[in-house]
Amino acid sequence: MSYKCSRCKRDVELDEYGGVRCPYCGHRVLLKERAPTIKEVDVR
Amino acid sequence: MASDFEVEFIERDDRNARFVVRGLTPAFANGIRRAMIADVPTMSIDTVRFVENSSVMFDEMIGLRLGLVPLTTPLDDYETGETATLALDVEGPATAYSGDLRSSDDLVQPADENIPIIELKEGQRLELEADAVLDRGREHAKHQGGVAVGYRHLQRVDVVGDAGEFDEQESNILRGVIETEDDELVLTDEFDNDLTERYPGKEVEVHDVPGAFVFHVETDGSVTAEELVLRAADSIGDRAAELEEKVAV
Repeated sequence: MSYKCSRCKRDVELDEYGGVRCPYCGHRVLLKERAPTIKEVDVR
Repeated sequence: MASDFEVEFIERDDRNARFVVRGLTPAFANGIRRAMIADVPTMSIDTVRFVENSSVMFDEMIGLRLGLVPLTTPLDDYETGETATLALDVEGPATAYSGDLRSSDDLVQPADENIPIIELKEGQRLELEADAVLDRGREHAKHQGGVAVGYRHLQRVDVVGDAGEFDEQESNILRGVIETEDDELVLTDEFDNDLTERYPGKEVEVHDVPGAFVFHVETDGSVTAEELVLRAADSIGDRAAELEEKVAV
């Protein structure tokens, strides 16, 4: 699962034991990125 | 039972038609109306593959909007269930319009080019591929070809005498089409829908003409009004033939 730090904009791998925190700048707000796959939606 | 219908057009253009049919039963008139709404198939986007969507709306919501965009439908070239592919790629700052959809088939195009899909801000992008499928209105309202379809009795207006000299002239509102004493068909818009405008100082009587119906047909642009009516009538014929065949066995 890849996240992006909202302050330094770097990609962050979330470590379950380290808590929710950016390892580069220590910011606690991480944003989840949209998956790069193609998403198929049924219009009904 | 077999009798000829007499059809007379009052208004007629690509998407709009108004015509009088004589020799119909109310049941058959309603059958045609229902067939125009539910049984004439049109193309409509059914599956969307999102490559990129960094807009403010969810994929599903944009998909729903795309589904409601009317697409021109070549009914002779497609069978129910067949698909055509469309693609959209818009980068902000811009508004994605239905006209930005690029189709794999020149005959399947957005009927209107100015339907906004979503407004994109700087850095936002919408890229997708969509499959349009041919289906009928009874499956989903997005497949309805006729959007404002209705009928009413043709009304005949007879002048029966003069109104009393001191009578208050109350407006007498009628809508649609009337038949005058000279068997002329007149659109009520011509006299502001008010009979006292057309027959000032006269007393008039209004009757329904038996077996005569005024149809008003408006399509969403996927098929012409004329084709919609013809296909609706065909579909009734086809279903009647199918019933006859099944009953005979």
